[in-house]
Amino acid sequence: MAGSYSGAATAEGDPEADGDVGPAVSDRTVRRIGVGISVAFAAAVLAMLAFILVINPRSRVDPDLLVTIVPRFFEAWLLVLGIFLAGSVSSVFFGIFVGLGRVSNSSITNSIASVYVEFFRGTPLLFQLIVIFFGIPALWPPGAFPIENFAVPAAIIGLTLNHAAYVGEAIRGGIGSVPDGQMEAARSLGMSYVQSMREVVLPQAWRNALAAIGNDQVILVKDTSLLTVIAVPELISEFRDVNSATFDPWTPIVLVAVAYLGITLPLGKAVRYLEARSDWGGDDR
Amino acid sequence: MSDAGDAAGSAETGFAAGSRAAGEALVEFENVHKYFGETHVLKGIDLEVDEREVVVVVGPSGSGKSTLLRCTNRLEEIQEGEIRLEGQAISAPDADVNRLRQRIGMVFQSFNLFPHKTALENVTLGPVKVRGLPGERARDRAMELLDRVGLDDQASSYPNQLSGGQQQRVAIARALAMDPRVMLFDEVTSALDPELVGEVLEVMRDLAEEGMTMMVVTHEMGFAREVGDRIVLMDEGRIVEQGDPRAFFEQPETDRGKRFLSKLL
Repeated sequence: MAGSYSGAATAEGDPEADGDVGPAVSDRTVRRIGVGISVAFAAAVLAMLAFILVINPRSRVDPDLLVTIVPRFFEAWLLVLGIFLAGSVSSVFFGIFVGLGRVSNSSITNSIASVYVEFFRGTPLLFQLIVIFFGIPALWPPGAFPIENFAVPAAIIGLTLNHAAYVGEAIRGGIGSVPDGQMEAARSLGMSYVQSMREVVLPQAWRNALAAIGNDQVILVKDTSLLTVIAVPELISEFRDVNSATFDPWTPIVLVAVAYLGITLPLGKAVRYLEARSDWGGDDR
Repeated sequence: MSDAGDAAGSAETGFAAGSRAAGEALVEFENVHKYFGETHVLKGIDLEVDEREVVVVVGPSGSGKSTLLRCTNRLEEIQEGEIRLEGQAISAPDADVNRLRQRIGMVFQSFNLFPHKTALENVTLGPVKVRGLPGERARDRAMELLDRVGLDDQASSYPNQLSGGQQQRVAIARALAMDPRVMLFDEVTSALDPELVGEVLEVMRDLAEEGMTMMVVTHEMGFAREVGDRIVLMDEGRIVEQGDPRAFFEQPETDRGKRFLSKLL
């Protein structure tokens, strides 16, 4: 991306730079400024971290506390990982159908999918979680709600419903960017609409949508932090427990950061791998 | 007005000349009307294409010739009239379109190869998914067809590793894999670099010689003259003249035909 952008900049910027016409900023200068800003930013972040965790005596990470709380944070991490995996698989699965509904020619299917997307994109996930966790069981007489430990199921349901809306929109965009001729060519062979979608349009739509879906799935990981309000013992809940017991925020903060990045960084890598895999002989001849 | 009169007259003669070939018509168009919203793009098309016949449709852009092809396999719906393939109305509301389309091969201007599949997979997809042909047999047949279009050595290439001419030849093999009764060619060389046009026309010429029934919309007048059994000139949604290509190019019967040819020179 960055390469192709700077390539375009060269093509436009060079004639001016070479021809001494006006004070045009050369491409190389722009790149140097960019690198300079990045380096300065990274240095500032590292310096701040060093100050917080090493130099400042009040915010030092306490090794003894760290060792004691690692197991419970690991457990919370496993739970977050599990909820993420379940929510991810089901939100992508349902999202594909939401996307198909959005491009459907049937006005009923189309409007159902639209209303779904508008509702779940238009209200906060936190609100949706509250409706599911507090609202739904209250529809039963007191004590009669059949699911005992409802927090984790409610979490997975909420994350799935919410993110299926976003995945659906990504899929819709992906389908929209597949040329009409693909569907026509598939139908011309005698394939049904469903076959044509499955064999020809969706695989291409999937690749087009992959970056957007990957982006949404990273957000899903971070959205698990909201589950603290419906009593899921995830990472933020653990942080609050440890902090209120020890008044030491920085030791658990470090663990929480490591735990989230321990999911989101590999996830980003996985998405890039999937993108590279559907290269289909390269983009250019 | 006089053009329309001529059209009716020459449509008759063209039809008579065409039906000399063999038996019943393979594809029949009867009073076909097509509208895009308010725009009337096909204004009562009557045409019969006989088995083994190569009908070349020419005309200025916007004359409705591509639309006519797209209606033939029902990529577009018609509003009036009937289109029949071997006597079965493909335009009927209850027609089994998926089934009828298997007998109609279509090749597009923009190739429309499936970019996520190799050349071989492009050719086997239809037979495997639609016909339920076992993979091994579909593969053998596809290799035969790729060989026929001169691309057996590119079987495992993806479309974007192929030149336009190669892609179009794979697209022809893909359509042939369904063993169609008739092949439709919709300006298949218009998107190609000039030096790649010949290889595609060569494949089409071979097909015509093997007796494939073909409807060809094209701007390649040399091809129309050499390979066509009949030429159909369309203008403003009507067939204005049709007949033997050689006669047409030497001495068009209608004023519209004369004007069309004069613009080509």
